[in-house]
Amino acid sequence: MGLLTILKKMKHKEREMRLLMLGLDNAGKTTILKKFNGEDVSTISPTLGFNIKTLEHRGFKLNIWDVGGQKSLRSYWRNYFESTDGLVWVVDSADRLRLEDCKQELSALLLEERLAGATLLVFANKQDLPGALSKEAIQEALALDDIKTHHWCIIGCSAVTGENLLTGVDWLLDDIAARIFTIE
Amino acid sequence: MSSQSSRNDSATTVNGSDTVGPGRDRKSEGGVLKRLKSRKNQTDRRPVTEDELRALGKDITPDGVLGLRSVTRDYLCKPEDNLYNIDFIRFKIRDLETNTVLFEIAKPPNCDLQDEDDENGDVDSTAGRFVRYQFTPAFLRLRTVGATVEFTVGERPVQNFRMIERHYFQDRLLKSFDFDFGFCIPNSRNTCEHIYEFPQLPEDMIRQMVEHPYETRSDSFYFVDNKLIMHNKADYAYNGGQ
Repeated sequence: MGLLTILKKMKHKEREMRLLMLGLDNAGKTTILKKFNGEDVSTISPTLGFNIKTLEHRGFKLNIWDVGGQKSLRSYWRNYFESTDGLVWVVDSADRLRLEDCKQELSALLLEERLAGATLLVFANKQDLPGALSKEAIQEALALDDIKTHHWCIIGCSAVTGENLLTGVDWLLDDIAARIFTIE
Repeated sequence: MSSQSSRNDSATTVNGSDTVGPGRDRKSEGGVLKRLKSRKNQTDRRPVTEDELRALGKDITPDGVLGLRSVTRDYLCKPEDNLYNIDFIRFKIRDLETNTVLFEIAKPPNCDLQDEDDENGDVDSTAGRFVRYQFTPAFLRLRTVGATVEFTVGERPVQNFRMIERHYFQDRLLKSFDFDFGFCIPNSRNTCEHIYEFPQLPEDMIRQMVEHPYETRSDSFYFVDNKLIMHNKADYAYNGGQ
């Protein structure tokens, strides 16, 4: 039995996944995290560090890390890359002025060696806002079709209403599970 | 009452009889293999006493406290060992079945308990490090619970911040909860919520825990780079409202 087999078996047994949620400040990362876990989202303040949730979902043990997106915090993101199975990139679909900034930050992340094995889920958040761009427009603005290095998917969602949050997370879990939990 | 408790209560029974630690997230420190090795060691770990740990005259490590088989009588480090100025400022427990907050305590801003000297000028070594908790028996019958801690970090970046919490009823280890926060950003404010299925305790166990208040106790150990920097204690009663 090879080492890889042993490691896969280990992961399989634990069915544990580490998800890292990043994005520019005010994208809605913390709101998504809280809404997904049934918490009140009426008062969310800027994250000046991280928010972690550990939970069980569909038999998986999830460790979700939401790290603050302010410019001064982005240089610390790298400290959270290790062993990430899924990267959730959250976009404020109504923040047209910072889409270029958003694209560049994402592109930089996708070059990171320690994120090379991660599946990418892009949440085009704030679809409930009148000025929000569609997920197709976000897909184009972020040039997602150019990504060849990672499995990826974009989902339009609203953290405030909860719309599509489950759909996105379930897609992510399915993709990760298919990659790392092998059938023995 | 200090802040310690919600997390403790919650962790008391995380995943029931499993004493290996479901919150373990060794991945942040070195991958699956390291985690595998770490867990194996936990299973095989040689029992150790508090006195033996002290007699070593060395820094207290995670491996050391994971060998403990009963609650400590005294603290294994001093308040001033917290060089990183890590400060727990909020604890909360919610019941996910009813979506209600069962318990929440927040430290007021600019309140540093460790700086409060008594009249003689001696620092009370338990100040801010011990809390007594009182719950009703219904607490032991919860199903899905979320326990949140919030903490701030001082000016120095913190590498490898790790928490180990050991819960006992009398001298029986109920739960050892082990979680790696990993890196903490300087001057940051962070939260961590563990959502878990409360184990269904045997009726006999519930009865005994209710009938013997404060014999459910916990040690919370906090490490930076595998060195103990904080040690908090709590005890619990479940006979409230009777």
